[in-house]
Amino acid sequence: MRTPTILAVVVILALGASTAKAKDESPHYKTAEAKHFTTAEGVELTPTFVDYFYAELRSELTKAKLVNEVIGEGEAVDDADAPKSLVITGTITEYKKGSVVKSALIGFGAGFKSLKMDADVVRRSDKQNLCTLHVHVKVDPRWNEKVMAKGAAKEMVKEMKKALSEGAKTQDGKS
Amino acid sequence: MILGSGICATSAFLRVLLSVGLLGTAAPSATSDEPKPKPENTISVQLGEAVTPQKFAPAPKFWIADVTDRSGNPQPMLVMRERGGLFLDRQPTAIVKDALEQSLKAANLLAADAATADLVLRVYLFHFGLGSGSAVDFFGKVEFSTMVKNPKTGESQEVKAAGTSIGKPAFRKKTMQKNVQEDIEEALHDATRNFLRGTQLKEAVAALWKGIEVSPAVASGTATPPAR
Repeated sequence: MRTPTILAVVVILALGASTAKAKDESPHYKTAEAKHFTTAEGVELTPTFVDYFYAELRSELTKAKLVNEVIGEGEAVDDADAPKSLVITGTITEYKKGSVVKSALIGFGAGFKSLKMDADVVRRSDKQNLCTLHVHVKVDPRWNEKVMAKGAAKEMVKEMKKALSEGAKTQDGKS
Repeated sequence: MILGSGICATSAFLRVLLSVGLLGTAAPSATSDEPKPKPENTISVQLGEAVTPQKFAPAPKFWIADVTDRSGNPQPMLVMRERGGLFLDRQPTAIVKDALEQSLKAANLLAADAATADLVLRVYLFHFGLGSGSAVDFFGKVEFSTMVKNPKTGESQEVKAAGTSIGKPAFRKKTMQKNVQEDIEEALHDATRNFLRGTQLKEAVAALWKGIEVSPAVASGTATPPAR
């Protein structure tokens, strides 16, 4: 008699939690357009890196379900959707190649490849800056630079999600 | 001294013999390693669902004159060399042409023939297939540039489009083929959408389509086909 009651309570609680989670995860924005990041002077990365990072960033944005639709660079957006649309621009500010020798001899993160990038997330309609992100990624020097791009895209979207949800919370608090 | 030189001569002869032998064995293996298209390593890439283009007012009728391969790839149908190779069943130019025609036709923007078209499109394909990725996943990439031309005035404008996609990695050959196919299809869809919904096409149509009645100033911009 007791076991089915407990089971029923557990199921109800689980269902409640999952629907609450689904409500929280519904995207707040309609579209997001990620632009190819520019590289600052002195940053020695291959031209394909920027292209690959762009693809990874779009892929991560889609996975994160931050927006309903991730559109390509230069695509038109309906005027009605513009206030709920984001544009992401950024610059790769620093890249250090790292050292395999240092990494092997010292360890503990010494000699790792390092990549720093800044990004701005603006609202499409009025170009208002919603958040500014600074991402710093460090990877093993033996790894391909594309792996670093993947890591950087993941970190960027994570930071963006955090910043936008904090921004939404403060807006809600004000209103 | 003589003995020494004799030994040297013998070893040199042996070295030549060995290298010739090595070359002889290496040459056939190199040719046999070259992947060949077979039904089991050929994939069919299609657009799938047609892309809905942006709204044009007034809506012109487009005609795709031709699609030219500008990738510089000697084997455009070979998508992947590793693991026995992976081939496309058609030329990438044909796939891109089909994708654009399918989407334009679905939106009733495709002219019946070149003579009745308001704007003629010449597509230059720069990349189709997989790009250099991280080796952890597949990086699908389709990139092309289009010359949009008004046949009546001779004016033309360039519109660029690119599509990317990140596909899941796979260990099994069958799964790998499926993932690569999905990845390229996604990139093709993305590139078609980027072209048909892009602001560049909107601006080109606005400039060229109005150009008939209003502005001859744009007429001077007869651009040359893009080259890489």
